[in-house]
Amino acid sequence: MVQFVIRRFIAMVLTMFAISFVAFAIIQLPPGDYLTAYIAQLSATGEQVDPKVIENLRQQYGLGEPYLVQYWKWVSGIMVGNFGQSFEWKRPVSELIWGRLGNSILLEGIAVIAMWLIALPIGVYAAVRKYSLGDYLATVLGFIGLAVPNFFFALILMYLSFTWFGETIGGLYSPEFENARWSLAKLWDFLSNAWIPVLVLATAGTAELIRILRANLLDELKKPYVTTARAKGLPEWRVILKYPVRLALNPLVSTIGWLLPALVSGSVIVSVVMNLPTAGPMLLRSLTTQDMYLAGAIILLLSVLTVVGTLISDILLAWIDPRIRYGGK
Amino acid sequence: MRHDANFGRMRGRSGLRLAGAVALSALLAAAGPALAQQAPELDALVASGDLPPLEERLPANPLVLNADSIGTYGGTWHMGMRGGGDNGLIVKTVAYEGLVRFDQEWKTVVPNLAESWEANEDATEYTFHLRQGVKWSDGTPFTSADIEFAVEIYNDPDYPAGSWIDNVNNPVHLEVIDDYTFKFRFDQPNGMLMDEMASVNGIHITSLQKAYCSQFHPKYNENAAAEAEAKGFSSWALYLQDRCAWGWETIRFSNPDLPTLYAWVIDQPLSANASHVTWDRNPYYWKVDAEGNQLPYMDHLDMRVSESIEELTLLALNGEIDFQERHIATNTNKPLFYDGQEAGDYHLGEIIPSASNTLVLQLNFNHDDPVKRALYQDKNFRIGISEAIDREEIVDVVFTGQGEPFQVAPRPESPFYDEELAKQYTEFNPESAIEHLEAAGLTETNGDGVRLMSDGRPAKITVDVISSLRPEWIDILEIMQLQLSSVGIEIELNNIDRTLFYDKRPGNEFDAQVWAGDGGLEVVQEPRYYFPANDESVWAWRWAQWFNGTRPEIAEEPADWAKEQMELYKQIRSSSDPDQRADLMKQILAITKEQFPVIGVSLMPNGYSIIKNNLGNAPETMFNAWLFPTPSPMDPATWYFK
Repeated sequence: MVQFVIRRFIAMVLTMFAISFVAFAIIQLPPGDYLTAYIAQLSATGEQVDPKVIENLRQQYGLGEPYLVQYWKWVSGIMVGNFGQSFEWKRPVSELIWGRLGNSILLEGIAVIAMWLIALPIGVYAAVRKYSLGDYLATVLGFIGLAVPNFFFALILMYLSFTWFGETIGGLYSPEFENARWSLAKLWDFLSNAWIPVLVLATAGTAELIRILRANLLDELKKPYVTTARAKGLPEWRVILKYPVRLALNPLVSTIGWLLPALVSGSVIVSVVMNLPTAGPMLLRSLTTQDMYLAGAIILLLSVLTVVGTLISDILLAWIDPRIRYGGK
Repeated sequence: MRHDANFGRMRGRSGLRLAGAVALSALLAAAGPALAQQAPELDALVASGDLPPLEERLPANPLVLNADSIGTYGGTWHMGMRGGGDNGLIVKTVAYEGLVRFDQEWKTVVPNLAESWEANEDATEYTFHLRQGVKWSDGTPFTSADIEFAVEIYNDPDYPAGSWIDNVNNPVHLEVIDDYTFKFRFDQPNGMLMDEMASVNGIHITSLQKAYCSQFHPKYNENAAAEAEAKGFSSWALYLQDRCAWGWETIRFSNPDLPTLYAWVIDQPLSANASHVTWDRNPYYWKVDAEGNQLPYMDHLDMRVSESIEELTLLALNGEIDFQERHIATNTNKPLFYDGQEAGDYHLGEIIPSASNTLVLQLNFNHDDPVKRALYQDKNFRIGISEAIDREEIVDVVFTGQGEPFQVAPRPESPFYDEELAKQYTEFNPESAIEHLEAAGLTETNGDGVRLMSDGRPAKITVDVISSLRPEWIDILEIMQLQLSSVGIEIELNNIDRTLFYDKRPGNEFDAQVWAGDGGLEVVQEPRYYFPANDESVWAWRWAQWFNGTRPEIAEEPADWAKEQMELYKQIRSSSDPDQRADLMKQILAITKEQFPVIGVSLMPNGYSIIKNNLGNAPETMFNAWLFPTPSPMDPATWYFK
């Protein structure tokens, strides 16, 4: 197992390099650069920009250099924790992203947990009580959850809370806590604001989980080992939870790695609509202004999340499913 | 000639206001500053000695703002801004403090930080007299030295920034006469300088305080480079930019230490993670009301930073925004805001946009393809297209009947309005359209009914558009697409990103681009569609380069009529007489009318502002433009809560 983890870790580092290279290339793909976007804005406001000024700026920002040189500068900086400068904010990228990534991870982490907590019991129930009223109810709600786009659900909630309660939903903290240090009061404020975006983020995923779990579990329930366990007189809840559920979880666990980036990218529009201070809106903005070091850092860190997520799911898988053991031990 | 006594040209209320202002400041000076009052929250600071008394903070001759009513102190102005560098909102709300400014009717240039000024006959020399005793928000005096420093920084080759100060074609040369008097000298006449300085661009020159900003420059601080490095910047110039960004740069509002001349100073700065940008009153603000009370009336500004237009819209509907037009006052939201007035305790004010047109179709006169170039330059072709557009249908469908068929021309509110120019070829007339297209040589059609150009290729125009900027552009173009196809012209929509849109210009890789009709009110200052004037004259981009000399490698010599316009515009620049300039501009517009270079659709409908009902002195109607950075010219410092 240890050997396996070490091997995976080395592979992870190599993957990260490949990702960083591709990420940087993708950011460079659109025509122009930050200065083109910047000049477009100046120009639209009626300002004449002298091409020599632009050339000077390009030198200053190191934008005139070939791709590989720029990439190397960027990547070698990252190894010592320097993600480069954000052009738009003229600040080190690392200063800008941690708070937002923290919010992202916190919010999406809670959403994942909420998703599992809601989906697991319902999925198990729906499979065990197949074609019951509860099963149909879960199915209908699940399909609605899947079908309604997250951002639309967010808009509906915002509208309802405005018309019913006269409250404007938006952001993650009340104004008085925005710049405050973490405390119990701030945590409570966060939770009282965060449940709405969590609800929005969790709905579609929950529905999906319910469907997958129900289908897997239905397969397992018919298998002879379940009958055997029942025949041996195990209590029903133990029969179900100890074996079939564990196996049914297999495909869910093995996709944890995809869950994190999917949540982050899925939450971009929701974050924009609900004005959540997560990494999503910042990524969107940095891509449109071609603020490439900022965009690159966010993409890279999201990739790290994916890779780490994959590692976690591999380890979990090995743990819950004895058939999958590495290294023969 | 002196401009400060230029009352003859001033009309209406603002003329009276200014006359009143001068009389009152004379009175103030005679009676002594004992008359003046300050905000109650400052009394304690003065009493404790943390702040000098009011008479030491106000200049000898403070600028008097005559509002409709005398206000009361206190309150917070709530508004909403977009996330990610919405510096425009801040500039338009607090940062419009140049040497001079526009009056509220956008007709004349009136004093601001400069008390008066003179220009010589050929507009190459301007002498300015600063208001004596104005102080920066940190209490240090504002003098000619600050102007000198700004000019120096702008001209520093290591500190790239572009503005009228270091304009390659005609840079400013400065001569300081004394602490409060200085002279701008130009190699070539610069008759439009005062308009430029009164516009939003005028704030560049008053945005850098020497005392604070010089510490980041190696000329004044030999350790500047090392200090910049210690802070993590690769050069002193980047550090200077971070601490002392000029004019209306985004990061200018992320440094709360930077001294300013604004009515409010930053408390919570703008940053990538800010969810509110907040401002406190500037105790050194140098303007007073008609009774001599120091302005501003409002204690604070609170700008909610939000990525979400939906959130801002809901905030406004909920009465949580006191005055705003930007971002939320869209066409589609109008019924919503209209219905929500009672519940939200606000009402709608009127906004007259500066843009004349909802959509300007600019065909590339300088196309690399000689056939297309000849076709696009053929006036008959453009008339044919224009007459094939059913503008009434577009106005009804896209703008719910607001607006009227209109070409790219000065707006009806402008003194340059010319009905013939505004209305020519706007009549929907397919027969005449076809005649004109045939006159342009498009007589044959292919199997799809598309007319063929002289070399046999179909007449297909690829139109670049940025729908994310103005979603209605796509709606208009899709209707135009159908209308034009019935006369045999094919339009292909190319919906692209803003950077690509701009990137295509130097490479000349476009048939046509669309934008809104800027220059409907600021006719002389923004003539991009009237002749090939600047980088936004996309229809004749290479001619514009020839005129400006900015990119000689791709410049092309313009047609004679355009050259004639350029000659006239040069005369405008070299005239310091506003009447003569207006006369010359009318001659340029006459040529525009004759040549009909770009195609417009409909008059940009009036917008609206959201005004909280208890907000005093707020403008019920105002112009809106970038160069006339509203609401600032409407003196927010005099607004108050009833």
